[in-house]
Amino acid sequence: MSRIIVVTSGKGGVGKTTVTSNLGAAIAQLGRTVALIDADFGLRNLDILLGLEERVVYTALDVLSGECRLAQALVKDKRIKGLVLLPAAQNRNKESVQPEQMKKITSALTKGYDYILIDSPAGIEMGFRNAIAAATEAIIVTTPEVAAVRDADRVIGLLEAEGIHNIRLIINRVRPEMVQTNKMMSVEDVLELLAVPLVGVIPDDEKVIVATNKGEPLVIAEDYSLPALSFTNIARRLEGEKVPFMDLMAEQNNILTRIRRIFGG
Amino acid sequence: MSKQTCCSQANSCMSSETTFSADDLDLSLDDKDNTASPLIVNSYSQVYLKTESERLLLVLPAEEEMVLNMPWSEVWQELKHRLQAREQSWQAGTAVSLLAKDQLLDVRQLQTIAETLSEVNLCLEKVCTSRRQTAVAAATAGYSVEQKAVDVTLNEPSEGKTQALSLADPLYLQNTVRSGVEVRHPGTVVVLGDLNPGGIIIAAGDIFIWGRLRGIAHAGAQGNRQSRILALQMEPTQLRIANVVARAPKVPPKSFESEIAYIASEGIRLSQASDFAKTHSFSEEVGGWADSPPTNNK
Ligand SMILES: Nc1ncnc2c1ncn2[C@@H]1O[C@H](COP(=O)(O)OP(=O)(O)OP(=O)(O)O)[C@@H](O)[C@H]1O
Ligand SMILES: [Mg+2]
Repeated sequence: MSRIIVVTSGKGGVGKTTVTSNLGAAIAQLGRTVALIDADFGLRNLDILLGLEERVVYTALDVLSGECRLAQALVKDKRIKGLVLLPAAQNRNKESVQPEQMKKITSALTKGYDYILIDSPAGIEMGFRNAIAAATEAIIVTTPEVAAVRDADRVIGLLEAEGIHNIRLIINRVRPEMVQTNKMMSVEDVLELLAVPLVGVIPDDEKVIVATNKGEPLVIAEDYSLPALSFTNIARRLEGEKVPFMDLMAEQNNILTRIRRIFGG
Repeated sequence: MSKQTCCSQANSCMSSETTFSADDLDLSLDDKDNTASPLIVNSYSQVYLKTESERLLLVLPAEEEMVLNMPWSEVWQELKHRLQAREQSWQAGTAVSLLAKDQLLDVRQLQTIAETLSEVNLCLEKVCTSRRQTAVAAATAGYSVEQKAVDVTLNEPSEGKTQALSLADPLYLQNTVRSGVEVRHPGTVVVLGDLNPGGIIIAAGDIFIWGRLRGIAHAGAQGNRQSRILALQMEPTQLRIANVVARAPKVPPKSFESEIAYIASEGIRLSQASDFAKTHSFSEEVGGWADSPPTNNK
């Protein structure tokens, strides 16, 4: 049975699209087939983060209107075996799709893919409703900021109301030095409030921005970085492995040397 | 007031059932009832939408107003059809309050309602009901809840003596009240979970949080100064009892004791909860609780 996971947050700009693209790539690297759905109609950018923009011909809306077959709209990532993207339409708004239609597309994808990751738009309006319509699991992305956590809490409540109870949390953009000096909420603070299981912590790292701009998922970068390791770990946890959480609070240097040791670097 | 408006609207809808077809828009300007807000959906169906001071209301018929032999599913199908047939006159994502009156609704039915609304870009946010089971179902499903005993309005705090007001049965919630959820109840509220920041509980009686209280809690909302708020861990955004408001101290004192908030002579005070009953008694003269053990002559 394939897993249908929506990546959502409530607040905008906290890293949903970053997580969807990098996590998708990381899961595919573990040998699974993964379809990414961009459900951010009107503001699509999952294709850009994946570096697939130029190869987009058809979108989900073309599939829905019968303009093309689903298989034609899927953009294969040539660098990573098993990873495809179903792009969103750029020129139409979030209201042009209905939850029922999202369900139809998603269930068609389950026939060929182990994982279906849905990148949700920010907010809790129609676009969000569409994104969660077909999902059976959710990954909540938040940053350790009061406003983001507050929105995450609201979204968790809404997901539970929709009957989605398999909810996991990714805390993105954590800056250990700020947590240490009490300038930022700690992972524990966030977890304690949201009370959903943690699946990963991603450090705030400029390599993420670089990868985004290059359109290259972190896990395939030559220079295997700390955020790349975070994504691989999340992928393994989704696969059911027990992977201990990195101690981001230890000194940056130490972590990197430790990782290099693990990976023989 | 709002209740009456709804009833009269419902009646006028039913009496005019034959004159409206599915695609009819009532655009007449000669408003017989100027004070009432316009109906967005005019249908002979008993379920209808209307706006009322910027709120969008979905009104269900009261139990006795239900047309005989009309099964619930059909009433519902009817509204669904009409909603979708109509050009939308609201903004996507507009929040809707459901006026469920005395209808008994379970979580599944509430979810069907929410789904139907979301198909036309509306978002169910709040459930107003006079049935306790419906209130519990709504809270379980994560909606804000406003429970009204048939004639009690929470918004109009009564003056002076408050004991005369009869409270509704306690509302027992077994889940965390998360951000964005508002629970209103004309009685005592017990939460087995947390009250998160951004969440609000307004109760005519006491409030017991079997967890952390970090949102806003308003006890004695109809004016009862004897009401108390108790939490295993007290870190509120704001506490209100009757008409007294207290904000949280900037740096919350790290207490691992459960605490109780109550009105004392100087305003809202916090004390260790475990021996409150032994060390405090309510004084009518002060209009608050005093640090004295209850005596027999009072
Ligand atoms: N761990 C990180 N370290 C540094 N920068 C990050 C990190 N995660 C995300 N960013 C940056 O934050 C910005 C927003 O990220 P992203 O587009 O993934 O957010 P989003 O939640 O999808 O936004 P929207 O709500 O607009 O869809 C991007 O510029 C991205 O590069
Ligand atoms: Mg995005």
